[in-house]
Amino acid sequence: MRLQLALRLSGSLIAFAVVLAAPLVAQAQVSVTTTNTVYRESGGGLDSTAVTPSLRIKGTIQDRVTLRAGWEADVVSGASVAVVDAPGGSGVDAITSATEWSDFRNTATAGFGVKSDFATLEGSYTYGTESDYRSHSFSLTASAELFERNTTFSLTYGRGFDSVCNLAQPRAQEAVDRQRLPGSDGCFDDEAEDREELDLALHTFQGGWTQAWAPVFVTQLVLTAQVLNGYQGNPYRAVWLGRTAAQENHPDNRTRYAAGLGMRFWVAPLAGAFQLFGRVYRDTWDVKSITAEAAWEQRVLEGFTLRARVRYYNQTGAAFYSDDYVRFPRGQYFTGDRELSPMSSWLVGGHVAYDVPPGEDGSVGPFAGFVILAKFDWVKYDFRDFRYGTVSVPNDRAIVATLGMEASF
Amino acid sequence: MESRSSSERRRRTFIGALILVCGLSLAAGCVTVRPEDKEFLAEPAMTFGSGGDARAQEEHVLSNREGSFGAGAASGGGCGCN
Repeated sequence: MRLQLALRLSGSLIAFAVVLAAPLVAQAQVSVTTTNTVYRESGGGLDSTAVTPSLRIKGTIQDRVTLRAGWEADVVSGASVAVVDAPGGSGVDAITSATEWSDFRNTATAGFGVKSDFATLEGSYTYGTESDYRSHSFSLTASAELFERNTTFSLTYGRGFDSVCNLAQPRAQEAVDRQRLPGSDGCFDDEAEDREELDLALHTFQGGWTQAWAPVFVTQLVLTAQVLNGYQGNPYRAVWLGRTAAQENHPDNRTRYAAGLGMRFWVAPLAGAFQLFGRVYRDTWDVKSITAEAAWEQRVLEGFTLRARVRYYNQTGAAFYSDDYVRFPRGQYFTGDRELSPMSSWLVGGHVAYDVPPGEDGSVGPFAGFVILAKFDWVKYDFRDFRYGTVSVPNDRAIVATLGMEASF
Repeated sequence: MESRSSSERRRRTFIGALILVCGLSLAAGCVTVRPEDKEFLAEPAMTFGSGGDARAQEEHVLSNREGSFGAGAASGGGCGCN
């Protein structure tokens, strides 16, 4: 009886809310965006491909309230070396014996935004799932425009609750005794006794300051700090330690700091913008990096823009990184992650965007607006201190291609 | 002793950078770009974070293959059009 009453009451409340909201929703400006990226890394026998499709829907009601929902996937496949630096006569064996793997990650996002004349508050929640990883993340951003809207300050806090599947090995108390996870079968299955879930907690803080200094010059400073606590290794990867191989062992705590400064300068006679970006980064694993990027974005015709850019990245290795833990051990931690070794990369690329100009009736066919974007980047990595046995990293070239479309109604 | 002086130097650098940023942000209040002069600032090429999902996917791809993270870009362009 009580349940029936509660159901009737809930039904009435929902119907009432729908009747109230219907006129607002009918006035909403809706946009649908799809973006699809392909990342292809090649060279030697360690090719890998990641395809990332996404679909997002955004509704803006009376220019004040925004509601968003989205889906994104990562379809990743390739070959990887399971035991880094394992002796096999020569390093080539490590690569030719690499195992094929694939993974499929799905994420669903929902978010909102509330805007006043000079301030905006945005929040979002994202759930991610794959065969061996689950994540819940929340973020909240507040921003304010000051000084005749020439200055924008923003603050973001993000919180993540992640779970990683691992091989349950209660008898292996020492890191050097732990074995790698052979596969994702049984992960997140309560009945699988040889699997366990390890937590990773993430806190991200970001502050941004955007400043218009002149009618043709604007800068942006972004400071980020992130605190991670929990399992941060790859459970599938093992490192050769001499007599045996053990699952890689990373510290549980990591704090990361980064500062980025961007500048944009409009060159009126050329109808284009010169863009510069620089970033410095360091963390408590002793990884330090710099990023420098220069780009030119040109307006060609009405709604049609071209962008060309070059980007350089360089980092030091983690304090516990070694290319050979048999001869040069680095204490209690060991890793087979090439992204923790000293490395650099060059990226060259560009994009073409077309914001279709509206016709005489103010629309673009059936849409209020339509934008299409095609993007292509070429990347060359240099892993100067990472080898599989004695062989340098063969898959050190990559392409990133993106096609995106946005339609608004 | 060496690590102590290094930590002291780092602390002074941080405080110096903080004072510089605070000073500049206060000075920002003296800068006036009038609304009618913001035509170029409203161009997509002058707006930070205008890459949308394509930029987010690129950052996702690259940060997975590099050891660093963060401070990419926030939204905003100083044109009052966000």
